[in-house]
Amino acid sequence: MIISKLDFLFRAELDQETLDLWVEEEWLVPAGPATDPAFSEADLARAQLIRDLMHDLGVNQEGVGVILSLLDQVHGLRRAMTGLRQALRENTAEGADPGST
Amino acid sequence: MKDPYEILGVAKTASADDIRKAYRRLAKKWHPDLNPGNKSAEERFKELSAANELLSDADKRKRFDSGEIDASGAEKPRQQYYKDYAREGAGGHPYDNAGGFADFAEGDDVLAELFRRHARQARRVRGQDLHYRLSVEFLDAVNGATRRLSLPEGGVLDVTIPSGIQEGQVLRLRGKGAPSPGEGEAGDALVEISINPHKFFRREGHDIHLELPVTLSEAVLGARIKVPTPAGPVMVAVPKGSNTGSMLRLKGKGASKPGGRGDELVTLKVMLPLEADTELDAFLSKWSPGQGYDPRRGMQP
Repeated sequence: MIISKLDFLFRAELDQETLDLWVEEEWLVPAGPATDPAFSEADLARAQLIRDLMHDLGVNQEGVGVILSLLDQVHGLRRAMTGLRQALRENTAEGADPGST
Repeated sequence: MKDPYEILGVAKTASADDIRKAYRRLAKKWHPDLNPGNKSAEERFKELSAANELLSDADKRKRFDSGEIDASGAEKPRQQYYKDYAREGAGGHPYDNAGGFADFAEGDDVLAELFRRHARQARRVRGQDLHYRLSVEFLDAVNGATRRLSLPEGGVLDVTIPSGIQEGQVLRLRGKGAPSPGEGEAGDALVEISINPHKFFRREGHDIHLELPVTLSEAVLGARIKVPTPAGPVMVAVPKGSNTGSMLRLKGKGASKPGGRGDELVTLKVMLPLEADTELDAFLSKWSPGQGYDPRRGMQP
């Protein structure tokens, strides 16, 4: 579902200036043109994560960028791993069961 | 529910600062987004947040300590965590990053092929849209034109300006934006149009307004005169007895709009001769307007 900028500011409890900064830092990458950005539920959850990092965990601005970048890599790895697991499973199902001979 | 002091690992006598520090330390360890594969982290974090919610609020803490309220009910419902979205479908995710395994994809074994496939999906993200501004001449905006935009990052963009374009309108040029960081399609170029004012035409929506000076005799006796329009001059009949402020509507001579064109609205402005005219002076000294004509009648207090 697409969330408009105004809705997003309200639901994420953010002010315009903070959101602009986060987008500028590429912590959030909304779809659509900058004049009419479209946010997703994933962006909303990501904004909540950034707020947790800054407010609850005491991470400073530099740290947030590092953490997000590493997290994105972790998720990239997790997805690659999921694909790998699936491929291995399919391979095993196709071929003869190596344990039976 | 367990004792909130126990959950945070602090003494009952702990200061507000101790509680804050303890919560921070544990939250760093157990925040579900920092433990994307650990299901128990979510449960632990929920407990932590609830305990913190209770003990970080001096008033609530006092009421809890005196037995007025218990630890239940302090759990706040929480929207989903980011990790739940990051897991969704491979490819096309805007935050996808293959940096964690790009090197694994370089080999030539089966695993490398699998990693390559995932890296490709991560790279299939669309390029960014780029934003430009283009100021166009008034008549180009009315009549349409092709204009070349020099890009700040080098190169040019030929922009076809449709006739009748409005101030602030944004033209989307598909695929002329930034290239994809990987192999996805390029973004779009978005060109916002601003229209330069014209020396004598003025535009309101699809209509063109023009203030047209006429001589006294053209106004009094009527005349056929040449009137400029955005598409070139046309001959127009000024009716006998026209006045300053009289308006002539030239149908279809305005800017194009869906299903036709707007009009040009010509407002006449009677101009006296620039230099003294003895003949006119002589005539007027003998002439008087009709009985009781007072152009300022409406202004009587």
